[in-house]
Amino acid sequence: MASEEIRVGLVGCGSRGTGAAEDCLKSAPGIRLVALADAFSDRLERSRRYFSEQRLDGLDVADERCFVGYDAYRRLIESGVDLVLLATPPGFRPLHFEAAIAAGKHVFMEKPVAVDPVGVRRILAAGEQAREKELGVVAGTLYRHDRKFQETIRRVHDGAIGDIRAGRCAYNTGTLWRHDRKPGESDLEWQVRNWYYFDWLSGDHIVEQHVHTLDVMNWAMGGPPVRAIATGGRQVRVGPAHGNIYDHFAVDYEFASGAHVLSLCRQIAGAHGEVGAWFVGTKGRAAPYSGRIEGESAWSFEGKAPNAYVVEHTDLVRSLREGKPLNEARQIAESTLTAILGREAAYTGKSVAWEEMLASDLDLTPPSLDLESLADRMVPEVRPVPMPGVAR
Amino acid sequence: MARRITRREFVRTGSAAAAAATFLSGSSFSLPRRAPALRVGLVGCGGRGKGAAEDCLRSSEGIEIVALADLFSDRLEDARGFLAGLGHEGVRVESERCFSGFDAYEKLLATDVDLVILATPPGFRPLHFEAAIAAGKNVFMEKPVAVDPPGIRRVIAAGETAREKGLAVVAGTQRRHQAPYVETIRRIHEGAIGRVVSARCTWNQGGLWKHDRREGESDMEWQVRNWLYFTWLSGDHIVEQHVHNIDVVIWALGAPPVSAVAVGGRQVRTDPAYGHIYDHFAVDFEFPGGVHATSFCRQMPGTDGLIAERIVGTEGESDPAGSIEGARAWKFEGKSRNPYVQEHDDLVASIRAGRPLNEARQVAQSTLAAILGREAAYTGKRITWDEIATSDLDLTPRAYAFGPLEVPPVARPGSAS
Repeated sequence: MASEEIRVGLVGCGSRGTGAAEDCLKSAPGIRLVALADAFSDRLERSRRYFSEQRLDGLDVADERCFVGYDAYRRLIESGVDLVLLATPPGFRPLHFEAAIAAGKHVFMEKPVAVDPVGVRRILAAGEQAREKELGVVAGTLYRHDRKFQETIRRVHDGAIGDIRAGRCAYNTGTLWRHDRKPGESDLEWQVRNWYYFDWLSGDHIVEQHVHTLDVMNWAMGGPPVRAIATGGRQVRVGPAHGNIYDHFAVDYEFASGAHVLSLCRQIAGAHGEVGAWFVGTKGRAAPYSGRIEGESAWSFEGKAPNAYVVEHTDLVRSLREGKPLNEARQIAESTLTAILGREAAYTGKSVAWEEMLASDLDLTPPSLDLESLADRMVPEVRPVPMPGVAR
Repeated sequence: MARRITRREFVRTGSAAAAAATFLSGSSFSLPRRAPALRVGLVGCGGRGKGAAEDCLRSSEGIEIVALADLFSDRLEDARGFLAGLGHEGVRVESERCFSGFDAYEKLLATDVDLVILATPPGFRPLHFEAAIAAGKNVFMEKPVAVDPPGIRRVIAAGETAREKGLAVVAGTQRRHQAPYVETIRRIHEGAIGRVVSARCTWNQGGLWKHDRREGESDMEWQVRNWLYFTWLSGDHIVEQHVHNIDVVIWALGAPPVSAVAVGGRQVRTDPAYGHIYDHFAVDFEFPGGVHATSFCRQMPGTDGLIAERIVGTEGESDPAGSIEGARAWKFEGKSRNPYVQEHDDLVASIRAGRPLNEARQVAQSTLAAILGREAAYTGKRITWDEIATSDLDLTPRAYAFGPLEVPPVARPGSAS
């Protein structure tokens, strides 16, 4: 595919999907966006309208390659695309990723890539198939493609702060959007549109959002943790409109080296906001989000890193054209599982080991749903808000 | 020339002064063989108060428990029975030295006790501690020593007065008197783990007792009997209980934190029977030099428990309860006396030696650090030490009287004042 045109299809036309498609189009010459898929036609049309307003080069979405419905992903994958961008709610990712790899498509997939251990294992397996088939897989953990982060963490790995003894990471923000139920919406449609607030769709905000910071943590630490102890709760963002997720988590992650990292994440309006990761070693400290090393090898990133939302696509496309496809499936699956590990430690109040979580049968898909043939008559029951110490 | 010797000096200077005093009084030539008894009054006759009184009795020779005070006569009688049941010759509680009611502490302080044990719910501590020091009494006070910043400032001020008056003050942060901790932290201070770069402390446990409201109990009576669950009384569990672990971290790091960011909530223990406090907190404390310490505390039945501290250095790590790991690995193998008894022994010895211990500032600082963590969680804000130290947040109720008393709302981060 040296400098051939790459035909791209977008699955999931929300704001992140629309942004990812735009970033992909801008990332390299010879990219064409040819197909769109979404569960809902209004979302698809909104996205399509946005693209045409932007007059982006490479835009070529014909009506017959616009697919609507819960099975739209399947029809898009069969429509003659080379690369699919998977940007639906994360609960669908394992199904969509498997289908894309089975069909021989390259994949860019948004983080997180699953909401439960069962889904993580499907991603790992499909990621292995992608490797065998020499398909490219890049995930939306964009900091891995951000020069500031890359240079900071390379220095950490080269010993600039000595051995890492401890760390912290935080994703403390205000609140996000919410989709209030409209007349005529089925339970399923309402939940899928309001997906952030349902564990089976988003994985809760520690998985959906904080996975970014946890991915940086794993990157700096050289691998995922071995154990987590956590607390969390739903203190302010209560009520059925906000489904069944928490609004804060605190996790103590333990790594094989014996080092611990504190993870905080919160989505509460009016509270202190802070997003970052900090590591302290025997010889100094590192702050990848600010591109700084303190200590004997003090350094700070100068200049401006190119927009990593675009670079991640540039890197993917280049890897395809060079015939050396990137494959980030394992890395993002591990970071997603790290977030799930923290979540489950908080939900249950138990100390949970990595191996235990990796092997867990926990499957958050509501039993009434068949994700492969979803229909509005299926009513996804909302699991109760988790009560630590009380089995769900 | 026969200057009157105050009871306090008498107790402090022991048998030599006692002999001289006796001689000068001309009433007798018989020399006392032992130090005169230290007369102890207990304020707050709950489980911890009873325990502290027993520990005090057993800590040293010549301790007499002579007075009891409690808001409630039933609790007082219970403690009196408990103490009598010890069969210890030092228990000498006469009815006329048993006081109940909100002013019971004042009446007890007006007796000739030398030492008072303050073991009421923490919300009363600043008031009682101030009064005890004003009355010239030595003090053993349970942790925490306040529930809000004005209370902390009162304890610090009264602690200064105690110093000026030569009164002893020991707090119930018993790890400070526990040999393995003392030895380990001395080694940390001497550099056994290199430079400290991080710390963690945890008090995760199940549930505790609660006092269900009985017929006829006023709001005030129910709240005071069920005090764990009201912030004005307990300070919330991060202050009431987790202060122990936070105190160890401050001790090891040598300074209080400079700021805190925290999360917390009331997730499982939501019934009004449990007042309005949280059931979990997690705090990221920043200490001088950019060192951070993690604090977790939780009270939820059925969850995994962990009560521990951990100090991380450039050259090793330490469980301050008795071990160092790394190049200078070491494990405490000495003898350790029950720290709940040892703290009283140390207190009594310091009084008798005329070199009174004064832990008021130390325990006030650790209590304030716990309050800092609580308020950072309650408000969702990043709060600095200076902000909390000078804060006007005052949880004291309008009046200490039986009657109606509203339960404050559960704190909502982002909207709390």
